Amino acid sequence: MSGEAGYRPGPRPVRYGASPEERQFYESLVAEHGSPLLVVRRSRIEAQYRLLQRQLPGVALYYAIKALPHASVIETLAALGCHFDVASEGELELLRPLRISGRRTIHTHPVKKPEHIKAALRGGSTTFVVDNLEEMNKLLPFRHRIGVLLRVSFRGDSVAVDLSRKFGCAPEQVPELARAATAQGIHIRGLSFHVGSQSARPDSHVAAVEQCASLIAAVNADNDNPMSTLDIGGGFPVDYDGQGLDADRWFRPLREALQRLPEDLSVIAEPGRFLVAPAVTAIATVTGRARRGDCQWYYLDDGVYGSYSGQLFDHMRYPLQVFNDDPQRQPSVLAGPTCDSIDIIAEDVPMPELGEGDLVIGHMMGAYTAATSTRFNSLNAARIITID
Amino acid sequence: MKEFQETLYDSIAQCFRIDKMYFEHKTEHQHLMIFHNAFLGRVMTLDGIVQTTEKDEFIYHEMMAHVPILAHGHARRVLIIGGGDGAMLREVSRHRAIESIVMVEIDAEVIEMAKQHLPRHSAGAFTDPRLQLVISDGMEFVRGAESGQFDVIISDSTDPIGPGEVLFSEDFYGQCKRILAPGGVMATQNGVPFFQLDELIQTRERMGRHFADQSFYSAAVPTYYGGIMAFGWGSDDPGLRQVDEQTLQQRFREAGLETRYYTPQIHRASFALPAWVQDALDGYGQ
Ligand SMILES: Cc1ncc(COP(=O)(O)O)c(C=O)c1O
Repeated sequence: MSGEAGYRPGPRPVRYGASPEERQFYESLVAEHGSPLLVVRRSRIEAQYRLLQRQLPGVALYYAIKALPHASVIETLAALGCHFDVASEGELELLRPLRISGRRTIHTHPVKKPEHIKAALRGGSTTFVVDNLEEMNKLLPFRHRIGVLLRVSFRGDSVAVDLSRKFGCAPEQVPELARAATAQGIHIRGLSFHVGSQSARPDSHVAAVEQCASLIAAVNADNDNPMSTLDIGGGFPVDYDGQGLDADRWFRPLREALQRLPEDLSVIAEPGRFLVAPAVTAIATVTGRARRGDCQWYYLDDGVYGSYSGQLFDHMRYPLQVFNDDPQRQPSVLAGPTCDSIDIIAEDVPMPELGEGDLVIGHMMGAYTAATSTRFNSLNAARIITID
Repeated sequence: MKEFQETLYDSIAQCFRIDKMYFEHKTEHQHLMIFHNAFLGRVMTLDGIVQTTEKDEFIYHEMMAHVPILAHGHARRVLIIGGGDGAMLREVSRHRAIESIVMVEIDAEVIEMAKQHLPRHSAGAFTDPRLQLVISDGMEFVRGAESGQFDVIISDSTDPIGPGEVLFSEDFYGQCKRILAPGGVMATQNGVPFFQLDELIQTRERMGRHFADQSFYSAAVPTYYGGIMAFGWGSDDPGLRQVDEQTLQQRFREAGLETRYYTPQIHRASFALPAWVQDALDGYGQ
């Protein structure tokens, strides 16, 4: 994933202190399950899902499994009626043991090996996203079974993670691709876009919805197998900066744009981050300390090769919390457990004195954290536990 | 209310109520269910696709077994590929004149599971002394089998997208041809042309390279949604497809079969294909 010029993470919020209940809560989890931990809260996933449903009424939600490919998350969302965006065979395989039908999925990776297509069909996933003719040709042998969404590229200027650079055809290409598909007997079921992740403003989504609406109208005007679906992707933001995020303010323009669409167009979305980021808390433990120059170093048992990998790949800064509320603080470094010097969670953060065994809490850590963590140095990934 | 929704096609799906779950086996690689439906009786599904139901399996199995066997007229050695539920074996066993039946099933568990949860399918046929049951990959079996040893081969496969894929390969048809005795015939499950026309054309091409006479016959099996289903037919003797009704009547009587779908008239008629299917096979109307 690549950072986009228009977005910079804000200053990292750090909370000092905790209520006795809070402290007891984290400490007992570590006592029971060890450290490092990622704590998934089902109730928070449910709250985010309901919030998104309220903000985007009538939109079928397909959770982008890639954000946090974990069974308890998928199970929780499935029970709420959520659908799933799968982008690989592995993601589809997560659904099978949970008895989630392939009919509740769409396959969104625009580039596929032929065996992936077969595996997807075998898993019951029959809607595929493509963005060019060569990929469409791979679907030809299966054309009687499938539906195709054409991915269109609209680059947002307020997104943290650009996803329209690598994938998506230019809007101008849509009519021509739709014609070519029809000529080959492939049905283009609709258009999809993904303006990018953690989109600070809804403008890009709104503009993309409007452009897609006119593209669909234009194509449908001279095609007797009309497009019927608009997939507005993901990208809905969460509050990493602790500034408060007014969901109603963010979603209202998008909701209004969707209300202007023709009634027979089905709208679907692929939220990842929005559903899971606030639902997961990371717990790490201080395992060592050192004084280097003017700086106090604390070494934790989780870092950027682990749960904090999102700081590298996803360009996010997670709000941190320590329990010591001593106002005496000094510039500190929070470093991860690997031997690599890039493995630093935070530099120059004011920290009170921390001792070995103290806990460092990372908030908002559900999306693109565990999903991208590595096994570098043969360290075990943080254990994921689910509560509520 | 629990439901099973088939996952074959993007824009259409048939849906069955699950009235009671008898058996469910799910792994990362497959999901098999046997459940009860008020109208259909026991239903078996694999990976979102209906495999067989008690209510309509007779159509499929009678047509796949009796058409090639009675067309052949003096079949003694029959090979069944797949068919773990035992119903194909049941129909083949009913021909007293058959001397040996080899059944090759890839998964021993399927047989045990079917004996227990779909007992009416095999109806005791697994105890037939003429049966030689081989647990093996069908493709590997035909590759390793001696030439010219079978009169009839029946390929009772799953959907071509999935584990049954090799049973639709040119190599498979070639090997079947090799292990058939002169005058032999093979019949295959070939899907529902209404939705799977490309697969029909593919079989025409692949099977057609190995047999002097390649064609299809058909029957409508209600729970294989989409109208008639096609059975592939391959033989070097074009006459097997043209056996007259009288001869079939006589063979049918001699075999002493009691059937619910198959009749000699149906047998003859089932080789007549709708114009749109015939046109597609002839290379038109695509
Ligand atoms: C195709 C597609 N859909 C949905 C998502 C989820 O995006 P987000 O987590 O921003 O909602 C992604 C993220 O990479 C994606 O690539």
